[in-house]
Amino acid sequence: MSTYGTPGAGPRPGVTVHDPTTLPSDDNVDPYTFCVELAGSRWFLQKGKMIAYYGTIDFNGVGHGRLDRIVRTSFHSPLHASDWVVAEGTGRMLLADRAFDVNSYDLEEGNLTIRSGNLLAFQPSLSLKQSIVPGFLTLIGTGKFVAVSNGPVVFMEPPLRVDPQALVGWADCPSPCHHYDHGYMTGVLGGLRALTGLGGASGEEHQFEFVGAGTVLLQSSESLMPEQATGVTPQQAGVPGGGGSGAHGQGTGAPRLPGQLGDLQRRFGL
Amino acid sequence: MFRLQSSKVLAVEMTGDAVKAKNGSMVAYDGDMAFKKLTGGGDGIRGMVTRRLTGEQMTVMEVRGRGICWFADRASDINLVGLQGDTLSVESSNLLATDGGLRTGTVFTGLRGASQGNGLFTTTVEGHGQVAIMSDGPAVLLRVSPQYPLTVDPGAYVAHQGNLRRSLQSGVTFRTLLGEGGGEAFQMRFEGDGLVYVQPSERNTIGGDV
Amino acid sequence: MPFREINSKVVEAAVVPGRRLFSQRGAMLAYRGEVAFTPSTTGGQGGLRSMIGRRVAGEDTPLMTVEGSGTVLFGHGGHHIQVIDLSGDTLYVEADRLLAFEGTLEQGTMFLGSQGGVMGMVRGQVSGQGLFTTTLKGHGSVAVMAHGGVIEIPVTPRRPVHVDPQAYVAHHGEVRNKLSTALGWRDMVGRGSGEAFQLELSGSGAVFVQASEEKL
Repeated sequence: MSTYGTPGAGPRPGVTVHDPTTLPSDDNVDPYTFCVELAGSRWFLQKGKMIAYYGTIDFNGVGHGRLDRIVRTSFHSPLHASDWVVAEGTGRMLLADRAFDVNSYDLEEGNLTIRSGNLLAFQPSLSLKQSIVPGFLTLIGTGKFVAVSNGPVVFMEPPLRVDPQALVGWADCPSPCHHYDHGYMTGVLGGLRALTGLGGASGEEHQFEFVGAGTVLLQSSESLMPEQATGVTPQQAGVPGGGGSGAHGQGTGAPRLPGQLGDLQRRFGL
Repeated sequence: MFRLQSSKVLAVEMTGDAVKAKNGSMVAYDGDMAFKKLTGGGDGIRGMVTRRLTGEQMTVMEVRGRGICWFADRASDINLVGLQGDTLSVESSNLLATDGGLRTGTVFTGLRGASQGNGLFTTTVEGHGQVAIMSDGPAVLLRVSPQYPLTVDPGAYVAHQGNLRRSLQSGVTFRTLLGEGGGEAFQMRFEGDGLVYVQPSERNTIGGDV
Repeated sequence: MPFREINSKVVEAAVVPGRRLFSQRGAMLAYRGEVAFTPSTTGGQGGLRSMIGRRVAGEDTPLMTVEGSGTVLFGHGGHHIQVIDLSGDTLYVEADRLLAFEGTLEQGTMFLGSQGGVMGMVRGQVSGQGLFTTTLKGHGSVAVMAHGGVIEIPVTPRRPVHVDPQAYVAHHGEVRNKLSTALGWRDMVGRGSGEAFQLELSGSGAVFVQASEEKL
């Protein structure tokens, strides 16, 4: 019945026109758009990322009473409920986020940790937990999820040192540790910057260091996508960012973001 | 003659003819070109009202000359559409350039908030010639047919053509906990027979909570 | 070829002993191996004179020396990256668009729009853009950033090219530049604004133009 398309009119030749029969199922339409097929199934998505859909699909805020059970099994992170919706129904829906690159990942009894702002959608068969690294979320189990990145994701293997702002996430390898370039910090200019506060911090002074076996995901970004609230961490001694009695003098200050130098200068005696 | 120099740069070869383009979108040219400011929204009373509503956002320039003129705007992706007597409706802020001979007019198409600046203005382009429309990221073309109606987030809507009925739906399928979500979600529904262009990004509109 | 384009927004550079690179501060995304990043005010071999030149020009983008042995990924803010290879000629590029370049290139500063005389002064002051631009000369590669990627437009003696100063990225070759206006242009954009002028490039070479009027 789709008779529209007079020869010579419409989009130029070579441009693909999609309909529900040609849209891919749980795959990319192009590098920036992902198509999810729903057949009575459900997906979790970040709010505001659905751009169009065919079929009959309901969107419910996480926390909607009827969804208590699924939320209980999939969300182990005290995520702010209003940031996520559950899509359920039958049809095909397109997901996209500010024209960033979109990629899907399949986990099989695996785990992957990702920057919270980069996670777009995931299947309820995966469970979502807060990473021990502030601002990151860990997905565990078997299933598919969709993540965005500024430019295509670059996959690297450890050993590797990464500018915190370029880090999208990592899989299978142990959590990263901080690495400070002592030479850069203590050089004349580094010292000058530490004294005057001019110039701020950049990836050349401080990196995340990855060792061991696994995969590290990178993007070209120094300007981060806004972070999604990962929720508060329990106020408990020994929990990073928890602000418990174990925290060393950070008091009630704002949680330090990865990439900030914080009390580094003091540690180097600058 | 419109062609894409890259996915984000439009090249127009001119031999004394004219194109209408978004003001300030010329990035380079060779040959001889003359520029003229046009007021947007088409002619007549409707155009005047439109100009009042849309303000400077709709300013259009006419470029006339011989040579090649290159257009681009904030690294938006560019999509070419050929018109043969039919009509293209395009979200006004997404229109980059049209052949000089095409007729344009603008209407306010809804969502509350003409005054808040987050409503939708749609420009209609009619006639025979080429149109360059912009999208944030490459546009996805979706076909609408009687058995496959389509629902679009207003923030991702770019353009449509064909025999389509467009309606705005508010919060029909979107439920949140009371106090969460901050209001209703608007969606745009298309029925009939035609094509819809959506972009992989969302403008800030009052709708689009999903 | 020290720079390998991994994708449109990331380049990989091999760092080998004795061949240093310069990069913009903050451009390093990741590295492997023994690589040292050292802040550098002079950058290149331009020496004191070019340093003063840059200071005057406001082109004092902090550069780093990258030395050692390993692999470095460069990228910045999700901007598109264009690698330009120079074989003896000179590239004119605004300093804040430089992502990284080889140490074999000689760096300098040059007054852009000098043939424009008074008009050149007006442009620089009005639009707040650098009157000076960085020059890189010799044999080597340069990675340049642009918003939305660049197109390369050839400049030939019979076809000068006019460029919106906001969209101008770089040029190379035997190219003269001056500031000009097209018919109707100043009336359109308004006389008071810096955009009233266009950069006219003539001679033979090429100009790189980005798909946006936004400065980086």
